[in-house]
Amino acid sequence: MLLELSEEHKEHLAFLPQVDSAVVAEFGRIAVEFLRRGANPKIYEGAARKLSVSSDTVQHGVEGLTYLLTESSKLMISELDFQDSVFVLGFSEELNKLLLQLYLDNRKEIRTILSELAPSLPSYHNLEWRLDVQLASRSLRQQIKPAVTIKLHLNQNGDHNTKVLQTDPATLLHLVQQLEQALEEMKTNHCRRVVRNIK
Amino acid sequence: MELSESVQKGFQMLADPGCFDSNAFTLLLRAAFQSLLDAQADEAVLDHPDLKHIDPVVLKYCHAAAATYILEAGKHRADKSTLSTYLEDCKFDRERIELFCTEYQNNKNSLETLLGSIGRSLPHITDVSWRLEYQIKTNQLHKMYRPTYLVTLNVQNTDSQSYPEISFSCSMEQLQDLVGKLKDASKSLERATQL
Repeated sequence: MLLELSEEHKEHLAFLPQVDSAVVAEFGRIAVEFLRRGANPKIYEGAARKLSVSSDTVQHGVEGLTYLLTESSKLMISELDFQDSVFVLGFSEELNKLLLQLYLDNRKEIRTILSELAPSLPSYHNLEWRLDVQLASRSLRQQIKPAVTIKLHLNQNGDHNTKVLQTDPATLLHLVQQLEQALEEMKTNHCRRVVRNIK
Repeated sequence: MELSESVQKGFQMLADPGCFDSNAFTLLLRAAFQSLLDAQADEAVLDHPDLKHIDPVVLKYCHAAAATYILEAGKHRADKSTLSTYLEDCKFDRERIELFCTEYQNNKNSLETLLGSIGRSLPHITDVSWRLEYQIKTNQLHKMYRPTYLVTLNVQNTDSQSYPEISFSCSMEQLQDLVGKLKDASKSLERATQL
């Protein structure tokens, strides 16, 4: 599957052959840093001064590179397809190789970052539990009422939140049984077949 | 057990055969238990024809006294001797004491269950449902291929009678972690009950 690059995109990337490979590698590093931590305009100005070009040009170059890397990573295109997609830009052999290497080296990390953008529900983080026995209450003395108190830690969009809940021994056993069945499902033939065949 | 003067007065009236004959006494006693324990009991519980001859104010007063005493006795898990002592102090005759104790014994379990269910506690998990899905792609990331679980805990809040749900997603490893910890809790529970 080939990447389709828009005219504007190609224009931005046209800056890359005008600088030497060390600079392109540096831009690659900046692009990945951009994905990890967000853009830092000061870096663009520093680079622009050193290369005697406008900071806009530098910014477009880096952004173009970023987009190239994220689109390729998102679609998980093969090496060959990447090379063919980049070929239309008319860059030198050396630059093409550099870009390919940049893609392969950073693909996994970029995909991890992209996976965090998906709509998500709170996800499980940790569970703490405690056994309690209620001995008395305002309305009834001399009780023996066992309960399990649970603190469920969940993460959502980076926020950590906890819920304190309680359950009785019978329900606890039921929960364990149901969730064990859920885990068993992954081992059934049906699920195995789906996982094997959808790739 | 601390009981007010009005309870004592009500019981003294109940003890008096001039006020309540045997039949009326039994009916009133049963009515008291019924209005406490029967969820469908209504105000007509005192409307029995055999109670019509008694002044309604007296009926209500004694009914309230009996109900109050029954709740206090249930709360403190009073035994037969405690009940007998108090009733003797209120001048009950032997027969009426026996009757009271028998009725109390018959209703003791329901009474204790009712009292035990009153009170606040943390949201209580009542059930769990799960869903296994295989993620293929998102608009940000294609070719994902990752199985995930979506787990929903059904929770009941004692005071607000609401039923919120807690849902969360987890990977297979995370679910294994969760199940492992719940199993530890249940093993611990088992060990504790064997001590």
